[in-house]
Amino acid sequence: MSPVAANERLVRAVELARTAIEGLSRPDLDARLARTRDRLADERVRVLVVGEFKQGKSMLVNGLVGAPVCPVLDDLSTAVPTHVAHAATPSVAIVRETERIPVPLDQLARYACESPNRDEHRQRISRVEVNIPRSILEGGLVLVDTPGVGGLGSVQGAATMAALTSADAVLLVSDASQEYTAPELDFLRTAMAACPNVACVLTKADLYPHWRQILDLDRGHLARAGIEADVFPVSASMRWHALTTGDAELSAESGFPELVRYLREKVLARAGELACRSTVHDVLAVLEQVVSTLDAEAVAQRDPERVQEVIRELTAAEARATALKERSARWQQTLNDGVADLNADIDYDLRDRLREITREAEQALQDNGDPSKTWDQFTTWVQQATAAAASANFVWATQRARWLAGRVAEHFDAEGTHLLPSLRIERPGPSQALGSIRAMTVKDGEPFGFGRQLLTGVRGGYMGMLMFGMFGTLVGFSLLNPITVGAGLLMGRKTLGDERRRIVQKRQADAKVVLRRYIDDVTFHVGKDSRDMLRGVQRVLRDHFTAQADQLKLSLQDSLQAAKNSVKATQAERDARLAEIKLALDRLEAVRKHASALLPGAAT
Amino acid sequence: MTQHLITSVRHLLHHALSAYRTNPRATAALGHQLHRLDEPLRVAIAGKVKAGKSTLLNALVGEAIAATDAGECTRVVTWYRAGATPRVVLQPLDGPPVPLPVVRTGGVLEIDMGGVPAERVDRLVVDWPAQSLREMTLIDTPGVASIDAANSARTTRFLEPDDETPTEADAVVYLMRHLHVADAQFLESFRDQGVARATAVNTVAAISRADEIAGGRVDAMFSARAIATRYRSEPALRGLCQNVVAVAGLLAFTGRTLRQDEFAAVKALAELPRPELEAALLSADRFQRTSDPALVGRFGLFGIRLATSLIRQGAASPSALAGELVARSGLHELQRVLRVQFAERRDLLKARSAVLALDRMVRADGDPYRLAPELERILTATHEFAELRLLAALRSGAVTLPKPMAVDAQRLLGDEGGAPAVRLGLEPHADRADLRRAASIALRRWQGNAENPVLGRRAADACRVLVRTCEGILAGT
Repeated sequence: MSPVAANERLVRAVELARTAIEGLSRPDLDARLARTRDRLADERVRVLVVGEFKQGKSMLVNGLVGAPVCPVLDDLSTAVPTHVAHAATPSVAIVRETERIPVPLDQLARYACESPNRDEHRQRISRVEVNIPRSILEGGLVLVDTPGVGGLGSVQGAATMAALTSADAVLLVSDASQEYTAPELDFLRTAMAACPNVACVLTKADLYPHWRQILDLDRGHLARAGIEADVFPVSASMRWHALTTGDAELSAESGFPELVRYLREKVLARAGELACRSTVHDVLAVLEQVVSTLDAEAVAQRDPERVQEVIRELTAAEARATALKERSARWQQTLNDGVADLNADIDYDLRDRLREITREAEQALQDNGDPSKTWDQFTTWVQQATAAAASANFVWATQRARWLAGRVAEHFDAEGTHLLPSLRIERPGPSQALGSIRAMTVKDGEPFGFGRQLLTGVRGGYMGMLMFGMFGTLVGFSLLNPITVGAGLLMGRKTLGDERRRIVQKRQADAKVVLRRYIDDVTFHVGKDSRDMLRGVQRVLRDHFTAQADQLKLSLQDSLQAAKNSVKATQAERDARLAEIKLALDRLEAVRKHASALLPGAAT
Repeated sequence: MTQHLITSVRHLLHHALSAYRTNPRATAALGHQLHRLDEPLRVAIAGKVKAGKSTLLNALVGEAIAATDAGECTRVVTWYRAGATPRVVLQPLDGPPVPLPVVRTGGVLEIDMGGVPAERVDRLVVDWPAQSLREMTLIDTPGVASIDAANSARTTRFLEPDDETPTEADAVVYLMRHLHVADAQFLESFRDQGVARATAVNTVAAISRADEIAGGRVDAMFSARAIATRYRSEPALRGLCQNVVAVAGLLAFTGRTLRQDEFAAVKALAELPRPELEAALLSADRFQRTSDPALVGRFGLFGIRLATSLIRQGAASPSALAGELVARSGLHELQRVLRVQFAERRDLLKARSAVLALDRMVRADGDPYRLAPELERILTATHEFAELRLLAALRSGAVTLPKPMAVDAQRLLGDEGGAPAVRLGLEPHADRADLRRAASIALRRWQGNAENPVLGRRAADACRVLVRTCEGILAGT
């Protein structure tokens, strides 16, 4: 079953359930189902294509979708992430912070590639979005072509690292010219921690006769590093050739069909399965509540003598629901405490990392004399170090947040029916925050040019000459004699030296102030981002569990009310109501059966 | 001029040797340096793993003496020196050198270290009778950023030794596939390693495996050259190395060792109908199914594409094809750069290594014999060192001159070659009168520049160095 069809069937099941509960005056349950349906429509599976640069990432994406969506050049590399997703009509848009600007299709390369002369306006583009009608993307698959990593210490690498937390799967691209290098394995190890669904792709298998040997070596490296990931050897140029000539044999040889199968079966299907489970769960939970209300009423209507008994049972059930609310107080406490702890921990972690950078940077400033000479290198280093620190902090925060969600859900485990809400972190990660921070610039300060040096020197010399000359005049020498001239020269030199030292010290102090301000900015922005992320997580969890507890309680109250009302009703009214209830129950039962048939495993 | 320099450095070393005679460690080190002055220039080939270091070394020598493989291959630093007879010696970290058997299988030199683990080996020394090794000793190093950290460490230790032992290589050819962070870091640390005061002067970067750029298309070499040109003007790289060239090591090696049977095989391929050949060349796998699998290992897909089209264009004999292959591989350009930038400056680079080693020793062991002033005199008073320093400063941007002046200055300092005619920008065969005329014009121009009040102090100093250079050329012609 294709992911699209599966998705459609789920939407239909939800719609059926909504019609079934119509007229039961439960707008809260209807709203819950509406949310479920919206989530289904918006289901996106993000696959990150990462790797060192010039390994053929863009070629791989092009080969997968069968269209030249990512520019491929011999020399220049991809500079901004490109999101390739499905749409009925092709379109390209660039996303700059929050605004989304559509651009003509042929302008793509201008925005997506690095250019030798960097222009300011391109730098702020956070991503390029390409939408094209392709069957592989129909199931909500989004391929993200990332700029080459170029080592983990680089800003680019840090940004990719942060993006990992929001990815459903990661494809690590490395070409068949050589086995994995140390930085690539390091990257894989970190990627595994942030996103468990990782596969490796060995590109350019057509070009290298020894690719099988490289494949074995790579598998060996993965096994030794304890990384469980499939390796797919592919050849994008053969795939491309196969697409243009329609040669099926060539297409099979290119290795792409296997990769596509992997994406469909392991990535999309897994995401689809998750979506299916949570949707069916929602539908069943809603139906169960409605059915239990109707059941209780039916019993009461059928047998007025047992009404008191039913009311007793229902009261007991309400007490249970209240207990759940009470328990909800406990989980809310866990959640609140957890978030507070997490906030403190993450803030501490960030500050600790940044303080270490500040310490090192200040030491470097102190040791290296005049900072204006090494300012460019210095700022690059600081920016890289802070970017790496911020993304490490972000990844860690995300992992901790997931762990917290698991712990909160443990409180509900006794019920056994509560699924964790999907915790997709939609925040863009620290790279965005870092981008909005003003660059480190230091005022040019006092230029110590020749004119000023001369003036300083003359001033010192004049003072020296005058000082010694005055003594001289006391014992009868003239103001201008060889000794005073010598003293003047010495003093002039000393003043000049002092002045130079003073200026260097001043520049060092200025640089330190700029550094501290920058680190402060980073702490502020990144800290805010982490806190927002946590608050988002907290809100999602709280709303999810509170809504469930409330709905349960409301259902029980409804049943109680219905049972109490039935005592006053006449026989004829009862019969009519019973028939109504029976009809409704039958309808609900049909919907329930339909929905449970959709569960994976039940569908056989 | 440089002869004089070598003599005075040798003199100084002898002086130091007698001064330090009670210190056996110093005596050994000094003896080593003296010996080194008479040896050919040492050029290390460094780069990331699988950058094609061993393949390029084979291409430069013209024989398969360095082992190559699809996986990571070179694990110990290996020296290739000129020798009368083939000889392989293993130098362990401790203990006496061990001679190893010389085994050649299918023309490839195979070195069996006799079960000695790589971490116990300081270096392998291969003596080989080859013309190209007479000019310079080549040193093959394990790749940087290797998965096996110990391999990387061996290279780093070799090229950036601690304070105890001065650096062993006089010059470095750095191979990279694309400029990667690890490459830049490595080059930078190599520069930082006080290969003192003079910086980029003894490093040349090469874009290796250039035939694999653009997926082995026939125009791959053009792309590679364009990339090299871009890197040459890249500010990040300018300060780190002297020149960037593109070279396809495999193609060059195959060209230099092309056999008759291989020529025949390629010729047979060239005679196939074009669509059939193109279909076979879609992937290495396909090609190996229809033709001799060894062929693609020797040429690479790009090499086969190139060789067949060369034959169609009229390369009718093995020697013609071999010549064309070598010419297209960029090897000549690399050799020219090595000759101009390293070999012509051989004495200067060697003297520099020796002076730096002695300088380090004096700093470390104290200077009871007053060697420092003489050392200082050689370092500051030798005009060639001043030229090197200025050249490096110009390249790294530490000294800035207006653009046309800077180009002129770099050429005059010997950036493109040390011969007077090249320095003055004349034809290589210019006669003495032309040289003298051009030199005196240049002299007057730089004298004028040195007095120009608009230029800063450092620029003026630079102009004075150039004035002396012009004077030197005038005096020499």
